[in-house]
Amino acid sequence: MTRDLWKHLILILGALVVIAPFYMMVSYSFKSPGEIDRGEGGFFGRQEMMVDERCVKLRDPDREDVAAAAPRFPTQTDSQIRDALVAEAVADCQMRPIVFNYSKAFTEAPLLRYLLNGVIVTASIFLIQIVVALPAAYALAKLRFLGREAVFSLVLFCLLIPVHAIALPLYIMLAKVGLTNTYAALVVPWTISVFGIFLMRQFFMTVPDDLIDAARMDGMGEFAIVWRVMLPTAIPALLAFAIFSVVAHWNDYFWPRIVVTGNRDLFTPPLGLRAFKGDGDGSFFGPMMATATVIVTPLIVAFLVAQRRFIEGITLSGMK
Amino acid sequence: MADLQIDHVTKTFGDTQVLKGISLDIADGEFVSLVGPSGCGKSTLLRIIAGLEGQTSGAIRIRGQDVSGIRAADRNLSMVFQSYALYPHLTVAENISVPLKMRQLSAAQRLPVIGPFMPGARGRNAEIAAAVKHAAQTLEIDRLLDRKPGQLSGGQRQRVALGRALVREPAAFLLDEPLSNLDAKLRVQTRTEIAELHRRLGATFVYVTHDQVEAMTMSSRIAVMMGGEILQCDAPDEVYNNPLDIRVAEFIGSPKINILPVEASNGALRFGDVVLPTVAPKALKGPIRIGLRPEALRLAAQDAVLTGQVVHVENLGSEIFAQISLTGYDGRVTMRAAPAQRGSLRIRANIGLAFEGHAALLFDHNGKRVFNPQVAAAQSEVA
Repeated sequence: MTRDLWKHLILILGALVVIAPFYMMVSYSFKSPGEIDRGEGGFFGRQEMMVDERCVKLRDPDREDVAAAAPRFPTQTDSQIRDALVAEAVADCQMRPIVFNYSKAFTEAPLLRYLLNGVIVTASIFLIQIVVALPAAYALAKLRFLGREAVFSLVLFCLLIPVHAIALPLYIMLAKVGLTNTYAALVVPWTISVFGIFLMRQFFMTVPDDLIDAARMDGMGEFAIVWRVMLPTAIPALLAFAIFSVVAHWNDYFWPRIVVTGNRDLFTPPLGLRAFKGDGDGSFFGPMMATATVIVTPLIVAFLVAQRRFIEGITLSGMK
Repeated sequence: MADLQIDHVTKTFGDTQVLKGISLDIADGEFVSLVGPSGCGKSTLLRIIAGLEGQTSGAIRIRGQDVSGIRAADRNLSMVFQSYALYPHLTVAENISVPLKMRQLSAAQRLPVIGPFMPGARGRNAEIAAAVKHAAQTLEIDRLLDRKPGQLSGGQRQRVALGRALVREPAAFLLDEPLSNLDAKLRVQTRTEIAELHRRLGATFVYVTHDQVEAMTMSSRIAVMMGGEILQCDAPDEVYNNPLDIRVAEFIGSPKINILPVEASNGALRFGDVVLPTVAPKALKGPIRIGLRPEALRLAAQDAVLTGQVVHVENLGSEIFAQISLTGYDGRVTMRAAPAQRGSLRIRANIGLAFEGHAALLFDHNGKRVFNPQVAAAQSEVA
């Protein structure tokens, strides 16, 4: 009983450590800059009306605005009209911090465009990874050919190579063929996933040989076997791989930062965070955290939806 | 339907020769069992016929045409696997329809979602559905068509696997121990059903099993394989009554045949000091072995050839098997007796045994059959 208590206590502590940054992120995305700076307001902040300084500054009336507004204030002097206009602007630029943060997240940078880019890039990477990994894994698991073991050890060897070690040569190669600042640059280097080949190969090893022989007797060729027999039986494993792949590339900041240098239209969601990096005009932690929250939400939702099958796939026990 | 010819097929895995030159002609419509202990190469031979494995040398001919180098999919053979090998993600109906779909639909018509709307796909799909229904009715599984294999019992899966094999008209059916995953009762029932199916379809069946009872009850011919060779290929009767090799004699028949060491000289056989009623060819000399089926032995009083003590009795109701420890010999023999003889076969009872001279099967020192002149005489009398 007490042992269980200790176990749970340690696990809860671990969970708290892991969840703390997420808590901060979500909390900051609700709060006003003042509350963030002073570290007050609890989880939601007080949600008092605040004034968006930049919005007010943008509406700062010039001579023409004052002249145009003159008919509305017939009896007043120019400086009085100017003060009235500023007061109006301040009134218009008032909003709740949560609205401020999230509207800034979507207006400061084209976040929707970035999200769309994220979907395009991660989906293309994942689809091509499957197209490459399934036949490769099938061959490594079920076909007998000269050098199969050597090829498989190469796969294992490639698992050991860190991305950052080959980033520069990859960049240079892409630059030479003129592919930097394109979707291709974001997708192509990741299309051959040795991890995917390895994972699917391990799963295919558990598929009985008789099933493949039966498919051959039924008139299927080797590619038909991959797509019509192996793919459907491997859905749980594929789902597990999907999570690894999609999470890795959706959240990737390093590679897009390298190959997308000029064209902001190609920014992936994590690059969107750069729009809020502290410049001369103050910190934008609230909108930045709102952006971060928007970016991670799709992944968390997808995980919750697919949770059961994902765990099935990791333990590789979906079949039989 | 077609005939199969296996012509001097050998198979080597690394240094081990699994098949040592197998030749076998299987006529159209025949039911041939390949039977033998595990590791004798029978499954390898079946896989070579199917095209799932390549032979090292030799040829397989279907309808006289050499199929070496033709892949399994194009040999037009059906196979039923020991593990059934049903597609776990497809329903029973879809499982049975796969061989037809792969052969009768074009690649475009097989595409998911849009395939059924391709020109000509509707008619073909209707034909396939009808064929599937017919096959399912033949096997009485038409009520299971919408289920997935995971929801079926072993016997039902076995039927689906059979259905998938017989939905098209293959040149021959290959069955690889299809009954060994079933429980004993279901196995006996399915055995009958497969034999009836063979009679109804009149198709060529090649059936691999390690169970000699299955082979005996279903086949037109049995090929007994051991150590990568076919020792004998004959009708079940012939294999049982006239085994050409001592290993065949020992493998076929339950309980096992009794093998006794005897000394041959000058046409006479001695078991210890006892002269047996069997006549041997004069040329046969030295230590040889004889085989006596349990039913060849009978209880005898005065004319007893062998004497011994009953050590164990198995009563099966319709018959009794008694194990008898022979005097002056440290082995046991098994005899089959009628239930009426139960009284004389008490444990530790001393009894006498006799047999007809021509019932003994003679094997020389290499284990090869030596024909007994008495048998030849007895057979010519019958003729």
